[in-house]
Amino acid sequence: MSALICNIVLGIIILYLGFLKRKSILAPAAIAGLLIVMFLSFKDWGLGSRYFHDMILFDNFSIAFNISMIIISILIFLFGIDYYQMMSHHVAEQYALMIFALTGAFLMTSFSNLIMLFMGIEILSIPLYVLAGGKKASFRSNEASFKYFMLGSFATAIFLFGIALVYGASATFYLPEIKTFIAQFNGQLPPMVMVGLLFILIGVAFKVAVAPFHFWSPDVYEGSPTLVTAFMATVVKTAGFAAFYRLLGMGLLPLPIPLEKALWVMTGLTLLIGNLGALKQTNFKRLLAYSAIAHSGFIMLAMLSQHDSSAKVILYYTFVYSLATVPLFIIFILVKRASNGQEELFNFRGLFKEKPWIAIFMTILLVSLAGIPPTSGFMAKYQVFVLSISQGNLLISIFAILMAVIGIYYYFFVVREIYTESEQLNPIVLTKLNAALIIGCSTAVVLLGIFVWNLPV
Amino acid sequence: MILLIILLIPMLTGLFLLFFRKAPIVRSIALGSSIVNLLITFILIFTSSPSTYALNWINFMGISFTLGLDEISLIMVLLTNLLFPFVLLAGFTREQRNVHLLNFLILFTQSALLGVFMAQNAFLFYVFWELALIPVYFILLIWGGDGRRTITFKFFIYTLTGSLFLLFGIIYLYQLTPGSHTTDFTAFNQLQIPESTQIWLFWILFIAFAIKMPVFPFHTWQPPTYKMASTQGVMILAGVMTKMGIYGVLRFLLPVVPMGVHFWQNTVIILSLIGVIYASVIAFKKANFKMMIAFSSMAHISLMVAAMFALNHYAVQGLLFQVLSHGVTIVALFYVACLVKEKTGTTEMPQLGGLKAKAPNFAILFLIILLGSIALPLTAGFVGEFLMIAGLFQQSVWFAVFGGMTMILGAIYMLYAYQRVMLGHQKTNFEHVGDLLSLDYLILIPLIAIILGLGIYPQPIFDLLKPVTEIFSGLAP
Repeated sequence: MSALICNIVLGIIILYLGFLKRKSILAPAAIAGLLIVMFLSFKDWGLGSRYFHDMILFDNFSIAFNISMIIISILIFLFGIDYYQMMSHHVAEQYALMIFALTGAFLMTSFSNLIMLFMGIEILSIPLYVLAGGKKASFRSNEASFKYFMLGSFATAIFLFGIALVYGASATFYLPEIKTFIAQFNGQLPPMVMVGLLFILIGVAFKVAVAPFHFWSPDVYEGSPTLVTAFMATVVKTAGFAAFYRLLGMGLLPLPIPLEKALWVMTGLTLLIGNLGALKQTNFKRLLAYSAIAHSGFIMLAMLSQHDSSAKVILYYTFVYSLATVPLFIIFILVKRASNGQEELFNFRGLFKEKPWIAIFMTILLVSLAGIPPTSGFMAKYQVFVLSISQGNLLISIFAILMAVIGIYYYFFVVREIYTESEQLNPIVLTKLNAALIIGCSTAVVLLGIFVWNLPV
Repeated sequence: MILLIILLIPMLTGLFLLFFRKAPIVRSIALGSSIVNLLITFILIFTSSPSTYALNWINFMGISFTLGLDEISLIMVLLTNLLFPFVLLAGFTREQRNVHLLNFLILFTQSALLGVFMAQNAFLFYVFWELALIPVYFILLIWGGDGRRTITFKFFIYTLTGSLFLLFGIIYLYQLTPGSHTTDFTAFNQLQIPESTQIWLFWILFIAFAIKMPVFPFHTWQPPTYKMASTQGVMILAGVMTKMGIYGVLRFLLPVVPMGVHFWQNTVIILSLIGVIYASVIAFKKANFKMMIAFSSMAHISLMVAAMFALNHYAVQGLLFQVLSHGVTIVALFYVACLVKEKTGTTEMPQLGGLKAKAPNFAILFLIILLGSIALPLTAGFVGEFLMIAGLFQQSVWFAVFGGMTMILGAIYMLYAYQRVMLGHQKTNFEHVGDLLSLDYLILIPLIAIILGLGIYPQPIFDLLKPVTEIFSGLAP
């Protein structure tokens, strides 16, 4: 709880630090604050404290996810030092909004009440609507913000409607009570509850961009400022899946058969659309957007293969995915600057000749996302497949494997561009901090794949 | 412990090389390390102490870092360590970009291959299996020839597709193991899988190996890749990496799904024999010298696959012998192709001819290698292929007849190629072609010595293989 409060206060402090007109202190202050929040989260480990009449439960699951999100946020803020160098206005607001969004993410991992989940999603989303429009002069950014806002509020409405329906039938928001309420019907749910649950799942599925509720994500990812895209692709996705898992694990499992079928279809569709959609992309940000959808499919697979270790696998998967994605966005920004603002895949040509070390590290990151040993991306996929195969979901596993092949195809499409020569080479300007981030993350991506331990979630 | 040393020497040397910039130093260090590794392998063979190395790795998923060396592994390790000095030597004095990176990747491949051949844990096996592919992909992509962008891509995706099915198979077997699950090969071998499962599981596992070898009809990646690859790349690919598939079948497929193997035995043999005939005919029709060698390699490998699935001790003995002899021969052939390309600037046979007049020594050495490839008696190829055909004969006469076509058709297309490259009239603009350089002798003479030596006195290898053939003679129904 102290972590949550500290985080809100941190956001407000950062907002006021903006009055000092000194950009250089913002990121260090935010990072220092996040470190304190992380420390406070650690202190709650194993206590399982409950607040507000059991509306919030800080168990190990939520703390582990919170810490993973804090680490990723710190990486993004470190990237922000360089990213906001050119920007003169509203830098403090950007950091503060991200911290507020993080607060919402904390609520999403720790709710035990549907109202708290709703609050979490809203606190996460509203700052993001603003952040997506961060580049006020850019047409694409405005479009992204507007699109995200329209579709997001629509999804929220559906979600809220679902909560209302479930409340109307069961007279409670508290998840364990909903679970007992559902259990008494032995799978023959009244239509009102069924529709309510479906609407709730749709609301959450929208947040994590699971097909067929993914249409916003490529446009929003492409239009938003890159730092915000990185934030959405990593922290927001982690929070969304933590919420999804908690919703299922705490309240809805075992799912009624029609809903389970619906979720399986969504998983299959997500894998298919994410991977096939990525194939034809020429814009790097859109490619990563589709790749994010594809990874959602694999996480869904782990989530639906109900097992004790599902939570660990999801935590590991989201963390290593985020760890590989953030530096990719950094490299993307460097290349974008060197090629006069172009975002196409062929802009990566000549990277190997220009900066061989960056090319090699970028290869490692892409290899990890593609899921090839000995990287952590492979270990993550391996664990997902172990879960789904040991739960007997053989056909969808084979389907997922075929989709993983397609994934390798488009990631290595980028790899191939990196090692292709190009006629004109633009100098890539690299700050020491960014270099350290890229190297650090890539090393971590490899080491986490080699040294895997049983996460205590 | 000694196994870990063998495994790590190339990789660590490779990392060390990244700090050097001068090409001759890099090449010498790389070569030195590979020779040291070869010497250690010989020590291992002569002391013949059974050694293993085990280390806990990811305990909660039943994964351990276990290395072991039985006779099958030993042949493969010997082949790998025997060929890599030549692969590295082939880079000497040639114009190459980023020499340190190239040598690092080659040594990295060597480590990964050794890992594949020594791993006693299926997960570890899979990790090394994939790890071997990545450096080769970059060797082909950065140092390859024309059209490398699309061809390497096809090669990479094709092989990875197979690997992912293998991964599925490994996980499926893993969750069948009793108790707290494990991925150890010993646990896999003890599994009692019902026949109906084995029948489909066979293909899940076999597809990865079939693509790697390659077996007809999974071969389409191979000829263009071989043609495009740099000399060193193709030496690794054809010499050692094709053997990964054979090793995989011996180590993984036969013990784990024996009923599946019996069920599909004839299907695979027939596919392979189709591959033999098909590849031989195309080798005859191909005008490109490198393509011709690529298809000839496919024909020989197909015969090896057919023999492997004959499941008797003649065939297995011949197969393992042929693994060694094919590796050496094909590496020598591709080096010859590289020399032809360097001397004349082309590998299209209609533009070649009459090289013998300019380079008589080259012509003689090429002829000896070629005779080894078409399995003339007193060369290593003869011993292996004879035993394999004898093994196939026990399965069916017709299998032996079609298997024997490898030799006959091989003689036809190889001699025809020799005629077109070396003999006849000299064609255009290679007036200033010289004979072999000392480096070329340094590579070709030892390889020829191995080909002839194994052909004249194959007994040491058979002594080495005795325990294996005893195991496999019990396998046939």
